[in-house]
Amino acid sequence: MLMNMNLQFFSHHKGGGSTANGRDSAGRRLGTKAADGSTVTTGSILYRQRGTHIYPGLNVGRGGDDTLFAKAAGVVKFERLGRDKRQVSVYPVAEEAAK
Amino acid sequence: MIHATIHYGAKRINSFQITGHADSGEYGQDIVCAAVSVLAITTVNGLQRVAKIPVSVDNRDQAGGFLEVHLPPKLEASTELKGQTLLQSFADGLRDVATNYADFVEFAEIKD
Repeated sequence: MLMNMNLQFFSHHKGGGSTANGRDSAGRRLGTKAADGSTVTTGSILYRQRGTHIYPGLNVGRGGDDTLFAKAAGVVKFERLGRDKRQVSVYPVAEEAAK
Repeated sequence: MIHATIHYGAKRINSFQITGHADSGEYGQDIVCAAVSVLAITTVNGLQRVAKIPVSVDNRDQAGGFLEVHLPPKLEASTELKGQTLLQSFADGLRDVATNYADFVEFAEIKD
């Protein structure tokens, strides 16, 4: 009876051996927390991020972990910033109406 | 650990048995397992295809980790010579692997 040339014939089968991998941290739920055009109150979190994927614009502050939050109540606007960057601003309702 | 045993009769190798797993690396990267596997499988197929010897092979349906091969007791002279040449070469190679990778292969030669 001829044998199939299995070079792992004398090896533990897949899954038989152990691996040092197999760990992962929980997802950080980053990204947009207030949609464009929505109305937010002061202090509302607008965007969770690592680094400045999006920059703080008008009435928007940046927290220690780069979280963007509203510094005034108003309407959220995601805008372009220069050639290839984006920013988020909060326009107070009266000012929004005048825009 | 792989355990390899060569059984000798009167001036001939009658059979050999190899059991166990080398565990010298992850699946697919276990070089010692690959060395022993290629030596053993080439010998088993060579005895049948090259030397035309109807050996009895027990390899637990290729599940791996067990291989036992027995030669017929009586063979025609030229066939016997071919068979023993293949087997002596196999034992020689296996002995060298066991010498250089003693942590993963145990090699024994037994007189029946």
